[in-house]
Amino acid sequence: MKRTMATMLAAFMLGLSLTACSSSNSTNTDAQAPAESSGPALSGDDLAFYRFPEPVDVHIGMPVDPTDKTLPAGDSVSNNQYTRYLKEKYNINVIVDWTAATGNDFKQKVSLTIASGKLPDGMVVDDRSFMTKAASSGLLYDITDLFQQYQSTQVKDIMESTGGRAMDNASYKGRMVSLPNITVDTDGVHLLWIRKDWLDKLGLPVPKTLADIEKTAQAFKDGKLGGANTIGIAGPSKNTFPYATFLTSSNNLGGFDPLFGAKDAYPGYWLDNGDGSVTYGTLTEQTKETLATLADWYKKGLIDPEAGTRDNVGDPINANQTGIFFGPWWSGGYGNGDSFKNDPTANWQAYPVYTDDGKWNAHMKTTGSTYTLISKNAKPDVVKAILIMNNALVRDEATFDLSVAVGWYPLRNVMAAANETEYEYAELLKVLKGETQAEDYNVPNSLYKLMYADAKKVKDVIKPPYDELNVSNFNTANFGDFQRLYSLLIGDRPFSTVPIDKKVFSVTYNQTPTMETKWANLKKLEDETVLKIILGQAPIDSFDKFVKDWKAQGGDEITAEVAELLKK
Amino acid sequence: MRRMNVEKHYYLMLLPGMVWLVLFSIVPMAGIVMAFQNYNPGAGLLKSPWVGLDNFRYMFQLSDSRTVIVNTFIIAIGKIVLNLIIPLVFAILLNELRHLRFKKLVQTVAYLPHFLSWVIMATIVIGIFGYYGVVNTVLGMFGVSPQLFMADAGIFRQLLVGTDVWKEFGYNAIIYLAALTGINLNLYEAAAIDGASRWQLIRNVTLPAMTTTVVLLGVLSLGNVLNAGFDQVYNLYNPLVYSTGDILDTWVYRLGLQNLQFSLATAAGLFKSAISFVLIVVSYRLAYRYADYTVF
Repeated sequence: MKRTMATMLAAFMLGLSLTACSSSNSTNTDAQAPAESSGPALSGDDLAFYRFPEPVDVHIGMPVDPTDKTLPAGDSVSNNQYTRYLKEKYNINVIVDWTAATGNDFKQKVSLTIASGKLPDGMVVDDRSFMTKAASSGLLYDITDLFQQYQSTQVKDIMESTGGRAMDNASYKGRMVSLPNITVDTDGVHLLWIRKDWLDKLGLPVPKTLADIEKTAQAFKDGKLGGANTIGIAGPSKNTFPYATFLTSSNNLGGFDPLFGAKDAYPGYWLDNGDGSVTYGTLTEQTKETLATLADWYKKGLIDPEAGTRDNVGDPINANQTGIFFGPWWSGGYGNGDSFKNDPTANWQAYPVYTDDGKWNAHMKTTGSTYTLISKNAKPDVVKAILIMNNALVRDEATFDLSVAVGWYPLRNVMAAANETEYEYAELLKVLKGETQAEDYNVPNSLYKLMYADAKKVKDVIKPPYDELNVSNFNTANFGDFQRLYSLLIGDRPFSTVPIDKKVFSVTYNQTPTMETKWANLKKLEDETVLKIILGQAPIDSFDKFVKDWKAQGGDEITAEVAELLKK
Repeated sequence: MRRMNVEKHYYLMLLPGMVWLVLFSIVPMAGIVMAFQNYNPGAGLLKSPWVGLDNFRYMFQLSDSRTVIVNTFIIAIGKIVLNLIIPLVFAILLNELRHLRFKKLVQTVAYLPHFLSWVIMATIVIGIFGYYGVVNTVLGMFGVSPQLFMADAGIFRQLLVGTDVWKEFGYNAIIYLAALTGINLNLYEAAAIDGASRWQLIRNVTLPAMTTTVVLLGVLSLGNVLNAGFDQVYNLYNPLVYSTGDILDTWVYRLGLQNLQFSLATAAGLFKSAISFVLIVVSYRLAYRYADYTVF
């Protein structure tokens, strides 16, 4: 009978997958004051780069790129040049509690870790909802005071370059509970990437408006420039979206963001109507019009037929099957290295897309989208160690031997000045033209931490003439350097040199309380409707029904909450 | 106690399985309480606030829940029925083969896909049904313009059932093949002497002898009526086919692990388990009545 029961119970458990993360151990729930346990009488950068007299163990959870081959034989995730650097310079022992493959696996592991309430001392998560969930559950260390004491001047400058937005982003209910990620603004500005060599071959001008792009895509396709299966315009994969949204407001490679912008549409963004009310950008008439245009293009075969179902956005781009796609500054160079390997003449160039009356509209991103979470149960020394690790990364990243991917740096969470890319664009051109020398940038603790290193190598990578850079100007011998400089000098040219006529910010880049339960459902409704309209599986009229359903299923309630935020 | 001693090694062999069961199936059951709480990971299971049936109420308010339940039933029943019939036909056909080595070869090749995980199988399926896949290439030769099979909600269920049967039929046929070897050869001989054709042999000897096995397998699979196959769906679906392809398990996964709604996801999982439990009890009774089969 015992066996009967056991088997029955086992059967009962079929599918009950989530409960494995249950047992609670909240034994140590008292909030720990940021006590000065081993407080040295130091301040400023001496404190920010303080070497602990006794070794400090920092337990972390870490994403690992399974395709990375840069780690030398014998080294491991917890013993490599970066962990040895931390041990030598600061007496910090990094202990990796668990690893998971980057992407979905890591997200899943983070989610389970939060559900079980047992966070490692530190981990870097890539979704704000992880941070807010952990914070609202009381799992995070309040680093408000310690951060003020231990931030380096460089980190302070970078934080200030965002005008307080980074601090807001890292805070929950007014307390700083995570280290924010601060990335360049240009990550959120999406551009038209086009094969200039194909345009030249057909004697076509650079397209400016939607109508131009349609003609160009048709010409590329008719001319079979990418082989028999030429794709006019690349589209999103099954894991990416047709446009960036307020929750993931940057780096939407393969979306249609610039096309929406050129129609004055900002789907996925909360728009301030100027009268105290807000509108969710997806519901607007302009979004509907743009979707109608996209559906028309799809029907004409100009958009990747596998848009929305493909495994990987980059495939047709890297295979040189397409000559047009949309993405931010790094998409060409960093983002499509294989395209150049497959065809060294692939002259990808980046341009804005304009409205019919010649305006460039762009939606802008939040400061950053990853967060270093520190467990409430971490000892004060461990918290300090994590802050020092962050300071050290910001100061010394340019000095590391990057043949070992910097992703192996424990708790790496990028902090860069918001305008770093534009600064480098302008200064690197000066170096090329001989107006300045690489040594001019040898400034310790500079806000622009990679400038000096880039200035030293730019002349090795780029050959004259410098007035109009094409792929033929670049030397690909050191492919990593080529990718970085291509992205900087070609990818960021539009944002550095062309003023944006209309910058659109979302009223909020975070979830409101009602969103925590209802947003997933609304988002699914939105994704499904938008994709079906583009792919011609639903008529454009279904958009009106979507708007009605969206409002009824909690959208109105959420809109009211976002409007509340405006009052503050 | 003496019996215990004699059978000691049996209990020893049982031990690893029991330990596994207790650790991974019995202990985590405490987590069910999450379904009745507004679970707060910081407070843990003991201190999270109780909300009664709120999670269940909310779950059924979501328009998704009905779609997901319907999809799960349709896909799972399709798989159960076809996974009974196709392997049966295959086993009988295989049994009729006289060339022994060829028979072994076919059997081996047919059951190979069973050992591949859906992560790999999904890539193969997409290679076949994708826009530039085998099927579209062949259709193209006849002048048919390529179809987006993977994004067509109208055929996604058929695709799921079909590929699942393709992956499993060789393996599922093993039980039938075993049953076939158990049929008394005298029956065939007697029928052959009476002048029965091969077709008549199958109809009047083989099939009746197989009935018990078919009924038994059918009844036992009732417990799987809510298992539409997470691995398969998760690796093949995309937002375009949510309306017909999203199942309870994938929904629970998205709710719990992607949207961090731990309590709601547990409620959905518990709902599924409760129904599965009832179905297992029913199928066990039915198996006893119609196939005289008991485990305990």
